[in-house]
Amino acid sequence: MLLMFVMSSLFLIALAIGQDPISEHMKSALLWVVIMFSAAIGLGRSFIAEEERGTVLLLQLNVRGSQVLAGKLIFNFILLAAVDLVGLGMFSFLLDMQVENLSLMLLVLTLGSIGLAGATTLLSAIIARASNKGPLLPVLLFPMLIPLLLSVVRAASQALEGGLGWSGVQVELTTIGAFAGVVLTASFLLFEFVWTE
Amino acid sequence: MKQDVQPLIVNVKRYTLVRNLVFGWLTVVLFAGFLLNFPKINILEHTARNLYFHVPMWFTMMAAAFVSGYHSLKVLQTGDPLRDIRALQAARIGTFFGILGLSTGIVWSRFTWYVGTDVWWNFDPRQIMVSIQLLIYGGYFVLRSAFDEPNRRAKISAVFNLFAMTALPFLLYVIPRQMESLHPGAEGNPAFSQITHPVMRLVFYPAIIGFIGLFWVLYTQRVRVAWLKYRVTQDSEM
Repeated sequence: MLLMFVMSSLFLIALAIGQDPISEHMKSALLWVVIMFSAAIGLGRSFIAEEERGTVLLLQLNVRGSQVLAGKLIFNFILLAAVDLVGLGMFSFLLDMQVENLSLMLLVLTLGSIGLAGATTLLSAIIARASNKGPLLPVLLFPMLIPLLLSVVRAASQALEGGLGWSGVQVELTTIGAFAGVVLTASFLLFEFVWTE
Repeated sequence: MKQDVQPLIVNVKRYTLVRNLVFGWLTVVLFAGFLLNFPKINILEHTARNLYFHVPMWFTMMAAAFVSGYHSLKVLQTGDPLRDIRALQAARIGTFFGILGLSTGIVWSRFTWYVGTDVWWNFDPRQIMVSIQLLIYGGYFVLRSAFDEPNRRAKISAVFNLFAMTALPFLLYVIPRQMESLHPGAEGNPAFSQITHPVMRLVFYPAIIGFIGLFWVLYTQRVRVAWLKYRVTQDSEM
C-alpha cells in the first residue's frame, strides 16, 4: 500500500512537471519530500495497529520496551528503504534522473532513512496514546525534520551532480549521521515513558 | 497525584517585589532606549534602536524553552501536575516572545538589509530557526489538545517536548554554518562586540535582563492562575 502511495505520488509529480527540464537540486528536493510524506503517512500506524488489535498488553507483559522499539525501528527502516529504492527507480525512469555518484546517493538515503525512521517511530508511539489522532503525526514530525531535510537535499543533489565528489558533502554527511544518532538515543531514552504510561 | 500539598506555590511578597522591580527597570530601559544618543550608523541609522527590543526577545525565548524543557523532565521524574502547568505556561510565553522577536526582525530587515527588494521573508538561518521552534510549540499545543486524560497528557506531551529539543543543537550550530546570514557573528561578518557602540551596550544588556525579568513575571502570574484553576477543575489546561 505504501509503495503504491509512493508510485502514484511520483507519477503525479512527474505529470505536474511535464516536459520542462528541472534542476538537480529540484529533483532531489522532490524526492525527499515524497519520502518524508510517505514516512508521515505510512509509518504513523505502527503503534496504532497494536492498540486496535489489542496486542499492547501482551507486548508490555512479555517484552521489554526497548526491544519493542528496536523491532519497530528495524521494520520501519526496512519499509523506508523500500520506499527509497522505489522512489529512486521511478524518478530515474520518469524524470530521466541520472545519478552520478550512486554510492553517495545510497549512503545519503540510508543515513537519512535511519534518522527519519527514528523520529517517526517515537512520534507514532506518542500519537498512539492520544484520544483523537487526526493528522497529528505530520504536525509533530515535519518541524523536527527540517534540519535533516536541509542536509539530505543538499547531499542528494551533490550525488546527482557528481561534481565535487565526497569532499563536498562532508558537513552534510556529518549532520545527517549526527541527526540519526541523536534521534535514536533520545528515542530509546524516552520510549519507556510512552510505553509504560 | 499530589494534591493540595503546596496550596501557595509562590511567595507573594517576593513576587510583588520582583514585579515592581521589573516594571521600574523596563521603564528606565525604554526611556533610555529612545532618548540616549549614539553615533550615526550607515543603513541602520535610528532603526538600530530595535536592537534593544529584537535581540532580547531571542534570549527570552531561549530561556523560556529551557525552563519548559526542565519542567518537562521533572514531569517524567515526579509526575507532579504543577510541573506540567509550569512546562505549558513557559512554552506559551516563549511562543509569545518568539512571535514578537520574529515580527520585529522581519520588519527591521525589510527596511534596512533588504530595502528596495520588496521581500518580507528571507531564508536567513535565524529566521528558519525561530520558525521551527514556533512550529514545534504549535505541535506541542496541538498534541496537548488531543488528550482527554490529564495525567497521560502531562507525561506524553513532556516526552514530545524533550524529543523536539533534540533538534536544538542542529538549529543553533549546524544550520547557521550551512547557510549565509547577514546577522552579526555569522561567518564573514564582524562579531557583535566589534560593531556595537558602548552607549548602545549600556542599554542593550539591561534590556536583556529586563525582558527575561518580564518573562519571569508573566510566567509566574500565569502559573499561579493555572494552579488555582487546576485546584478547582483538576484540569491543567488553561
